[in-house]
Amino acid sequence: MSSAAETLAFLREVRLFKDIAAPELATLAESLRERPLRRGQVLFREGEVGEEMFVVQRGSIVISKPVTGRVEQVLARIGPGDFFGEMSLFDCSPRSATIQADSDATLLALDREALRRLTEQSPRAAAAFFHALVQVFVERLRASGDLVAEVTRWGLEATGLDLDSR
Amino acid sequence: MNETDASPTPPRRAKLELLVRHDADEGFDVRQIGSATAFVQSRPQRVPDESWELAEMPSRVAGQPSFFLKNTTTDRFLLLTEPEKFLWQRMDGQTSLQEIATAYVLRYGAFDFDIIPALMRKLQRAQLLTLTPTSRLRQALARNRRRPVVKAIESGLTALERINISSRNVQRAFTAAYRWGGFLLFTPAGVIACLLLAAAGLVAGVKLWHEGSDIVAGFGGHALRGLITVKLLFFLTVAAHQIVHGLALIHYRRRVREFGFTFLHGFVPTFYVDVTDIFMTSRRARVVTAVSGAGVHLVLGSAWFLVALAAPLGSFTQAFAAASGIIQWQAFAIALYPFCFIEMDGYHVLVDVLGMPTLKQEAMSWAGSLVRRGANWRMGRQEALFALYVVVSTLSVAAFVAFNVMLIVHARS
Repeated sequence: MSSAAETLAFLREVRLFKDIAAPELATLAESLRERPLRRGQVLFREGEVGEEMFVVQRGSIVISKPVTGRVEQVLARIGPGDFFGEMSLFDCSPRSATIQADSDATLLALDREALRRLTEQSPRAAAAFFHALVQVFVERLRASGDLVAEVTRWGLEATGLDLDSR
Repeated sequence: MNETDASPTPPRRAKLELLVRHDADEGFDVRQIGSATAFVQSRPQRVPDESWELAEMPSRVAGQPSFFLKNTTTDRFLLLTEPEKFLWQRMDGQTSLQEIATAYVLRYGAFDFDIIPALMRKLQRAQLLTLTPTSRLRQALARNRRRPVVKAIESGLTALERINISSRNVQRAFTAAYRWGGFLLFTPAGVIACLLLAAAGLVAGVKLWHEGSDIVAGFGGHALRGLITVKLLFFLTVAAHQIVHGLALIHYRRRVREFGFTFLHGFVPTFYVDVTDIFMTSRRARVVTAVSGAGVHLVLGSAWFLVALAAPLGSFTQAFAAASGIIQWQAFAIALYPFCFIEMDGYHVLVDVLGMPTLKQEAMSWAGSLVRRGANWRMGRQEALFALYVVVSTLSVAAFVAFNVMLIVHARS
């Protein structure tokens, strides 16, 4: 388990928290819960209920979506400093993808209650957090558009479908 | 080099990351699958066995037979070479393309794998794997549709192509027509009568030729207008040509799938009959079917010549009938003459007899490579045939154009 100082030092490097002042960040760090994962272990599956987001402190995580049988499409592979599961913080809907560890990993969990406290106690810190979050949302939205195009191209090439000559 | 000259860099092959869970434990593997890999590992699935039919067409030249592959659901036909048939038989949904390619190498000792995607596209277009076909012209237009003119042409052709007056429920009508007299065309008496009429027409035509200038004078200075009217009337007889093709099918107990009118490729108005079912019968039946349609023009041309001969010299009737006779006989000759780059009845008979269903395409391809790479005078039997086809066809087209120019000039003067 990491010490508080190590956790705080790590959070300062995380894009999501980098604009939050040290005192507020220290308070936030106290509300984060450490969650270890073994290699191959599934944190949660698509459709499950959850109200936490996670920041990867160590290790590698695979985000996937079931396709057929035992096969899932990898949506992203993320590492230290990246985060996931933030959607459930806001819309209370079931998880949209499955999360598993690609290697032994440590996650930091931020739940809805901790975020509510941050918003109430330090609106400036909350604003910095949400601003960083929106920036990442926009990037992910663009990336998902690219992924759709890539998947379409993959499908055309993989089936030998020749639309150019039609 | 300017920007438009620069050839674009081909895009990298797409890749997907797939996570495959283990059966035994919680673990998983993440595999990066390139589209090319997925392609070779795909298992092409042909349509169910009851939806296709295969018939062999022996070759007398190339040494290898060809095969007619028919989609019995859509009535689309494909010509397959022996290697293509080999590949088709392995597209059972169980065998991967990689395995099919391996089997192909072992069987033929060739690494010409382009044949596989090319065949798949062909099968897809014939809806034997999926998808629908499109003409080369439309493909070319589609490739260049950014140009406004091309786009306008494409839109125009699309609109014309939509004009299709046809029926797929014509078998009963053709059967009735055959029963009520059509069968006579396929009896020895009918054939002899047609030949006698043709001989009489030939005699009449020769006599008329000698009086050509007097006959043309019957148009009264409106020769061009008269010829156009004759052409329009001729167009209607194309329907009779197609109907006789259909009667031939009935004679050989095959099915007439469709009869109608359309704009071929979007701009050639034509009547048509679907005679593809005849490919499932004997070569004799195919030849008779092809020749019988063209025979309509021989008979009608002869009849017109006889009418012209009987009409008063220099009258409009005589001029009109003589011109109609000429155009009908031209149509007969063109329909049966195989060397004119047009795949008409005579061409189909020729390729059937030779067992080379893609003679024109192969000959053109061979001639093209000859032009690009220079002459190679070491020719086998097949190359000699290609050369013969291209040379004779070129000369024939030139002669045909010259003959018609001569006729028009003769008529105008």
